[in-house]
Amino acid sequence: MLTETISLPVPERAGRRARRGRAGGRHRAGYAFVSIYVMMLLLFGVVPTAYALYLSFTEAGKPWHWVGLSNFLKTGRDFRFLPAFEHIAIYLVFWLVMLVVVVLFLALMLHGGVRRVVPAFRFLFYLPGALAGSASVVVWAFMLDPQLSPWHFALSSIFHFSVFAQVIAPGHLPVVFAVIAFWTGAGGWIVVMNGALNNISDEIIDSAKIDGANAMQLAFRVKLPLIKKWVVYMLILAFAAGTQLIVEPILIGSASLGMVSPFWSPNQLAYYLATYDGNFNYAAAISVDLLFVGLVAAALLVFRGKLFELE
Amino acid sequence: MSVMATGGGVSFAAVHSQAGQSSTITVWVDSGRLPMAKAWVKANPSYKLDIVTFDGGANGDGSIEEKVALANRVGHGWPDIVFSEEQNDVQKLGYPPFNFPAVLNNLVPSSVLNNYAAGALSPCMVGKKLECLRNDLAFDVLWVNVPLMKQFGYTVPTTWQQWQTIGESVAANHPGYIIGALGDSYSDAVYLQAAQCHLNDVVAAYSLLSNPNDPNCVNMADLLNPLEKDGSVPASANEFGSTFAKTYDGKVLMDVGPAWYSTAIFEGKGSVLNAPAGTYGAYPPLTWAGSKQAWTGDVGGGLWILSSHLKGAQLQAAANVLVGLATSKVSQNLSQGYPGYVPAAKSWIAEQDASGLFASPLSSTFAIAAPEVWPGWSQTPWDVFGLWAQNVTPNLIAGSSVSSQLSVMASAILNNAQSDGFQVTS
Repeated sequence: MLTETISLPVPERAGRRARRGRAGGRHRAGYAFVSIYVMMLLLFGVVPTAYALYLSFTEAGKPWHWVGLSNFLKTGRDFRFLPAFEHIAIYLVFWLVMLVVVVLFLALMLHGGVRRVVPAFRFLFYLPGALAGSASVVVWAFMLDPQLSPWHFALSSIFHFSVFAQVIAPGHLPVVFAVIAFWTGAGGWIVVMNGALNNISDEIIDSAKIDGANAMQLAFRVKLPLIKKWVVYMLILAFAAGTQLIVEPILIGSASLGMVSPFWSPNQLAYYLATYDGNFNYAAAISVDLLFVGLVAAALLVFRGKLFELE
Repeated sequence: MSVMATGGGVSFAAVHSQAGQSSTITVWVDSGRLPMAKAWVKANPSYKLDIVTFDGGANGDGSIEEKVALANRVGHGWPDIVFSEEQNDVQKLGYPPFNFPAVLNNLVPSSVLNNYAAGALSPCMVGKKLECLRNDLAFDVLWVNVPLMKQFGYTVPTTWQQWQTIGESVAANHPGYIIGALGDSYSDAVYLQAAQCHLNDVVAAYSLLSNPNDPNCVNMADLLNPLEKDGSVPASANEFGSTFAKTYDGKVLMDVGPAWYSTAIFEGKGSVLNAPAGTYGAYPPLTWAGSKQAWTGDVGGGLWILSSHLKGAQLQAAANVLVGLATSKVSQNLSQGYPGYVPAAKSWIAEQDASGLFASPLSSTFAIAAPEVWPGWSQTPWDVFGLWAQNVTPNLIAGSSVSSQLSVMASAILNNAQSDGFQVTS
């Protein structure tokens, strides 16, 4: 899973309380807490990234022999490279749109709903995501098989699918993976957004109501702008996770007895080049490509979304 | 979903290990070969084996390549002997950056090599160097539901054309029954290799002949087109699909497929269809009308590979173990498929026939079919079955004709071959 953190704006009240404590002791405790994370980050984040960078600019068997961009150019010209990035781009469009629209819709509904049933629904939304990662993908392999699925009537009468292979035809794959990723990951985000919405002070909502805002206006004009930063935060993490898609195509590939290409996504291609071709340098080059794409997208979102600005 | 570290999902479990002795030989086998290794070491207690189970590189997942590549980086950790389920693995491992298998030409006595069935060792050849020993053969035969054929009033076909005629009659008179499957990743070998189609033929080192317009390919595709359309050889039928038994129980009139379908698909406990004893029988590979020589496809058959990182006495000892696992009766009698080593095959097939599961003895058909594997369909660094499953099967299921897919397959092969440094001619 992803190990990135973005610091969210700290509510003012918490900041004021911190200043009142004994400064020295607090700092030391703070460093102690952070140090564990920093150590993990170094070991499992920074060092592997540095190693990947090193590998991507060198050649196998020749330590510290710089080859410039040659690994990037060679993998870029590989016949599998463009299709893989094309697949992931289409997938991301479906997934991110689905994620933002449905998660926000459900979270706003939940927040505007009857208070008594909120915990029950929050739990329901979270449930599919609570199933451990790859297990839920395996569940989907059955859900999508018209001959086994409990939803076979929908698959056969609405979509006219009679066998699994039709469901996972190459053109459907981005949507299929987006649907799987959505149902395995969206629940957690609904809970996060719900938490963000709960942070909005009652005073603001009450004054909006007194001013005559209806439920729709309240949701889109008042609540949505106030949780914009959480949406940007979700997008950054979802984008980075989405570009690294690997579990879904591998598992659906083996469930379909090999009908999904082993280099469908860029991460799969990198994995294939490292394991099946034994070329770690090419694999590192593709990983660095992905890192670059993720960083650019994050930078755009951070600066356009003004994520780090204090209100 | 994403994962940070891609470990490959291969778990290695030591079965029993004798730590650190220089004479201990490390053997990696898949679960199917574990009983063979255990039986052999029990019969040969002077050898100390460290038997490790892994997935055997199943379905081209590259687990052997991955482990060898990692061992190459650190300079230790290679297995001494490894079993591969993938028939083309030596064509990967025998080349840079892996350079893993030991050359066996001078390590294994020629008296042993001469006892292999014709063509059995061809997947092990890297140029003129022998780099593995074959475990089992995987030639295709014609599997027939004998009582059902009688009931429908058909005689067992001997040519592809007769087989086609029966298919058209089955589609008209007994819809829902099938005479073959087109949904397997290895359907290319079952049909195109049997037709002597030059689509994946390595003619010299780094030189591939691949011609989708080869009349042999075109004729077989034309023969299959109507059967695909009328449902007697459906593109959606895959013997290992999750619903094959449910859909086709009692409806597989005939099937063209490898020798190991015997107890994997048709008869006996644990087989896909688990038909009543005496239902299915094996018949010789079909010929092309007008030709006397039948050719057949090759679908699998495992490989025993020896590490090139061994030296001196250790190397010779490991070579002895390799030969023992691949050829001895104590090991091969437990083989899941028809052994490639002829003396072992004789004793193996006698046991199969004694089981009484099949409509007629398998031995006579297997003896005819074993040397009929067509050598013009090569083992290549790319996984030709995988290419068929990824590029062709989805189109067939969507309704494309087999003929239209020859060029699709050829272009997939071309891309991979060129990327692996091959010159491709048509």
